[in-house]
Amino acid sequence: MVFLTLSCLVRSRGPDRHWKVQELLKHARHFRGRKNRCYSLAVRAVRRAFVYATKGRILKKRNMRTLWISRIAAATREHNMKYPALIHNLGKTSVQVNRRILSELAITEPRTFLSLAKLAQARREEGFRAALGDGQEPAGVFSRVMVTH
Amino acid sequence: MTSRGTPSRFLQSVLQNGVGRYVCQLKRISIIFSKNAQSSLGVREFIEEGVVDYAKKNPGTVVYVSPNTCRIPKIVAEYLNGNVREEMVTSQTSKEILELITKLTNQSGLDIIRLRKPFHTDSPSIQGQWHPFTNRPPSIGPIRPLP
Amino acid sequence: MSNFSRTAQQWATFARSWFLIDAKMQPPGKIATMCSVRLQGKHKPIYHALSDCGDHVVVMNTRHIAFSGNKWEQKVYSSHTGYPGGFKQVTAAQLHLKDPKAIVKLAVYGMLPRNLLRPNMMQRLHLFAEDELPEDVLANLTEELPQPRDVPRTLSQYTQEERDAFPRLWTPPADYKMK
Repeated sequence: MVFLTLSCLVRSRGPDRHWKVQELLKHARHFRGRKNRCYSLAVRAVRRAFVYATKGRILKKRNMRTLWISRIAAATREHNMKYPALIHNLGKTSVQVNRRILSELAITEPRTFLSLAKLAQARREEGFRAALGDGQEPAGVFSRVMVTH
Repeated sequence: MTSRGTPSRFLQSVLQNGVGRYVCQLKRISIIFSKNAQSSLGVREFIEEGVVDYAKKNPGTVVYVSPNTCRIPKIVAEYLNGNVREEMVTSQTSKEILELITKLTNQSGLDIIRLRKPFHTDSPSIQGQWHPFTNRPPSIGPIRPLP
Repeated sequence: MSNFSRTAQQWATFARSWFLIDAKMQPPGKIATMCSVRLQGKHKPIYHALSDCGDHVVVMNTRHIAFSGNKWEQKVYSSHTGYPGGFKQVTAAQLHLKDPKAIVKLAVYGMLPRNLLRPNMMQRLHLFAEDELPEDVLANLTEELPQPRDVPRTLSQYTQEERDAFPRLWTPPADYKMK
């Protein structure tokens, strides 16, 4: 391109507009309607999509955590406990398993989850057992009941 | 980069490569360079120093050295699954090129795209997956009318 | 993977159960909570909002539900037909007389998430006014859920001994005249 006047130089948007457009449309090819081929519509949609993607990266963590919690709650209720009781008592027995792994255990390894639930239940009843029980261990769990008696 | 707009795959290896023995997935590598261009200086050095050692070390890989009148020297790697990767090595040193080639050798040839999860297993469950009757005895006979 | 093939495993995991709830003398809200959890599949560890893993729920004896307090007279169900002057308001008692399933149905409907899956979930809710269930429903049932409230016994269900043994605050004198 040869520019004989300054005004033409200012008006010129450079030789590579086509590639710039393609670079943007690359992100818009899966959009619906004219947004996937018309630059002026796509540019706005792509910007919006990137904003949503940025927000979504934060939201995803939150949503996954709520999903794990609802799954664990469902699995815990099958063993006649409630979610807060399970999590609280697993923390007290220093079982360092996070919610993602707990929910996966509940789906893929249900017996492991059952034993964890039993452990939490035993820890929950430990105080009562020590105070009111006959000094017997709960079946299958080693606890502090023997120590106190 | 949106997650829907970018291609993705799950973590995998080629036919469980490396579980028993390891088969190098890189089958052919051609180093295209110019005999006299400035940008190919590092490549020429590499060909003098390292390419024979590399070829001896990797008997499963064919190494082509093709001088060409070109400004941009490049390395073309062809994998067992048919994928071809081209890498520009403009004005890189001999050491950098060796690193690049080692990287290409160790790769599986699968597309380098976003991984859905950083872990994968073919057998997710040992004890058998949860189903509605894992924690509940199946009822025998009809529920109602009450016996 | 144990002895299952994966297809069988998938079918087992996503199998639909049929729950039976007896609504006799039960608060409709409590019944609806149990229903909505199971219709959404929130009682399963495989729950996901989009995976359509809800179960079937059969509620019987919806005619014999029990509202507490003065809800039969004071609870108002409003609707609008869309025409001018089409705002309808009926009390719970009137609605129950007109349709014995409507109160439970509306309670469950209000507790389900407001999305496009709600009609599908409602299709999996089966309401029966009395305790007679059709054969095909009976054949599917897998579990009966315990009732949230104890059913109170009526006076006629107590035997004479139990009535006599009931503790009295005050014994009327022999010449006491009942008004």
